[in-house]
Amino acid sequence: MKRLFMTALLSAALLMLGSGMAFAKTLRVGTMGPLTGPYAADGNDIKNGVLTAVEVFKANGGIPGFDEIEVLPQDTACEPRQAVATANKLINEGVNGVVGSYCSSATLPASEVLDEESIIMITPASTNEKVTSRGLPYMFRMCGRDDDQGAIAIKFMKDKLDAKSVYIVDDKTAYSQGLADGIEKMSASAGIKVLGHEHVNQGDKDFSAILTKVKTDKPDVFYMSMQNSATGALMLIQAKRMGITAAILAQDAVYHPQLIEIAKEAAENVYLTFGFIDDNAPAYKEFYSAYQPKFGSPGAYSGYAYDSAIAYLKAVKAAGSTDPAKVKAELMKLDYDGATKHIKFKANGDSGSNYIIRTVKNGKFRNYWNPATDELY
Amino acid sequence: MEYFFQQLINGITLGSVYALIALGYTMVYGIIQLINFAHGEFFAAGGYVGVIFMSYLVSQGAPAWVCLSGSLILAMAYCAMLAVAVEKVAYKPLRNSSRLSVLLSALGMSIFLQNGLMLTQGVYDKAYPTELAQGGFEMGNVMLSYMQIFIVSLTAFLLVALNVLVFKTRIGKAMRSTAQDKIMSALVGINSNRTISITFAIGAALAAAAGIMVGLYYGSVRYDMGFVPGIKAFAAAVLGGIGNITGAMIGGFIIGMVEIFAAGYISGEYKDVFAFVILIAVLYFRPSGIMGENVDDTRV
Repeated sequence: MKRLFMTALLSAALLMLGSGMAFAKTLRVGTMGPLTGPYAADGNDIKNGVLTAVEVFKANGGIPGFDEIEVLPQDTACEPRQAVATANKLINEGVNGVVGSYCSSATLPASEVLDEESIIMITPASTNEKVTSRGLPYMFRMCGRDDDQGAIAIKFMKDKLDAKSVYIVDDKTAYSQGLADGIEKMSASAGIKVLGHEHVNQGDKDFSAILTKVKTDKPDVFYMSMQNSATGALMLIQAKRMGITAAILAQDAVYHPQLIEIAKEAAENVYLTFGFIDDNAPAYKEFYSAYQPKFGSPGAYSGYAYDSAIAYLKAVKAAGSTDPAKVKAELMKLDYDGATKHIKFKANGDSGSNYIIRTVKNGKFRNYWNPATDELY
Repeated sequence: MEYFFQQLINGITLGSVYALIALGYTMVYGIIQLINFAHGEFFAAGGYVGVIFMSYLVSQGAPAWVCLSGSLILAMAYCAMLAVAVEKVAYKPLRNSSRLSVLLSALGMSIFLQNGLMLTQGVYDKAYPTELAQGGFEMGNVMLSYMQIFIVSLTAFLLVALNVLVFKTRIGKAMRSTAQDKIMSALVGINSNRTISITFAIGAALAAAAGIMVGLYYGSVRYDMGFVPGIKAFAAAVLGGIGNITGAMIGGFIIGMVEIFAAGYISGEYKDVFAFVILIAVLYFRPSGIMGENVDDTRV
C-alpha cells in the first residue's frame, strides 16, 4: 500500500515536472568571450551586445512558443583549454546557440566541441581564416577575415600613404602575429621594404627599447598589431613621447573607445583597419539607443555581437524550432541590413569583409578611406 | 651612439621602478624571511589610489606639483596601511608555523588582492591624467622626458631617505636588530611586532610610489599590473642578494638595463629570457647574490 502511494506520488511529481517544462519553454543563448584577463573589455562588449540584442528582440515581439530567452555568459579568458571547458559547460546547460568567442585561438577548439553536438556558433570577433575554412557546418562569422584586412592595410599604405618602408610590431598572439606575418609577406610583393618585424610580450608595459629602434630606422609606416587596445594605447603614448613621426597603422583589435580614453591626444591621426559601420543606419540607431544607456559607448565588437544574436534569434523565429538543421537553413536565407553590415551568409559561414580605414580626429573615431570606392571621407 | 644613449635612459628609468619595488621584497625577507608575493599587489593598489585621487585633483584645477605630491603621499599612506592589515591578517598568525604555509598565505593574499581590485575597479584600464607628464629635453635625437627625470630623481630621493631611516634612526636600529635575532631583540625591549609592521608599511609605501610613477609614465593602470613587475622585482631582489637593501637597488637597475638592451640590440621577444638568464648566471657563480656577503650588517 505504502509503495503504491509512493509510486503514485512520484509519477504525479514527474508529470508535473514534465508539463511544467512544456509550458515554460526557454531559448538558451550562450555567449563566450574573455570576461577576465587582458582582453576582458572585448569579452564584456560581446556579452553586453548579446544582452542588448535579446532585450530589443523581446521588445519587438520575441519568439512565439518561447516564454523566455535566457543568456548564459561564459568566460573563456582567451585560453583554448578554458574555451573547451566553457563549451562543454554550455552544452550541459542545454544551450541552443552560441555567440562567441573573441580570440581565434579560443574559438577554434570550442567550435569543434559545439559542432559535435550540432550547436550553432556565430563568432562576432574571430578573424582568423581557419574559423570558417574547416568546413564545420554550424560555424558562422559576423566580422571580416584577416587575409582581407591585411590586403586593405597594404593597399592603404601603398596608395594613400605612399609608403616605401614599414616597421612591424606584434604581440605574439595567434591573431596579431598572424596578421603581422601576412603584412610582412604582402609588403615585400607590394614593393614596401620591411625594416623590421619585432615582437613584444603580452603584459608588457614598457616599449621604449622597441620604439627607439623604430625611431632610429625612420620607417614611413609603423604597423602596430596588438591584440589589446589598452596595450595599443600605451604604445601610442610612448611613441608620441619618443617623437616618432611615422604614420601609425593599427588594426581592428586596437579599435576600442578605450584607445582614445587612455592615449588621449597620442591617439590622434592613428589609422586603423575596421569593418565599415554606418552610424546613420536605422538598425544601428536602434542598437545604439538600447546599448548606450546601459553599457556606455559600444566597444569594437558590441555591434557584431548584437548582430550575431539578432541573426540567430531571427532564424529561430523563422524556423519555429531550435532544430539546428532548420535554424541553419533559415540563417542562410537571411538577407537584411543589420546594425553593423548587410547580413547575408555565404556557404562557408562567412558574411564577407568590408574593411575600411578609420582614423582618430579630435578624440573620435572617424571614417577615413573606403578602398572599395576609393572615397576619402 | 645616440641610439645607445636613448636605450641607456630607457633602461635607467625602467630600472628605477624595479629597484623601488624590489626594496619591499628585500626588506620583508630580511626581517621575517618571507617572500611576500602580495607585494606586487601593493604596487597596483598604489597606482589605483594615485589615479583616482590625481584625476580628482586635476579636475579641480590644482597645480601639477600639488597633484603629484598629494596623490603620492595619499597612495603611499594607503598602501602602508593596507600592508599592515595584510600582515596582521595573513602573516602574523602563521609566524611560528612552517615557512611553506606563510608562502602559501602570501600567494593567496596576492590572488585575493588582485581580484579585489578587479571587482571594485573593473576590468578596464584606468587612464592617468597624462597632461602632467608631457614634455622633455631633446639632445640631438635623444629624448629625455620630464617624466623620466621625475622618476629617477624621486627614486634616488626615496633610496637615500630609506638608507637614512635604516642606518641613522632608532627605528632603523630596531629593524636591523629584529632582522638579526627576533627573540634576542625582544628580550632587550624592542617591540618586534611593531617593527615588522613598520617594515611592511615602508616596503608597501615604496611600491605605491612606483605604482604611481608607472601609471603616469605609461599612461594607465590595470588591476593585474602588479604581477609581472612583481616577478621582475623579486628577481632583482634575489639577484642583489635577498635581504640586502643596496643589493635590491643594484639588482633592480641590472634587470631594467638588461631588459632594455636585450630588446634594443637583440630582440624584444627575448628580453625577459635574458633578464632571467643573467639572474641564473649570477646565482650560479654567486649563490648569495651580488651583495650577498656581510648580510648580517646591512640587511634590514
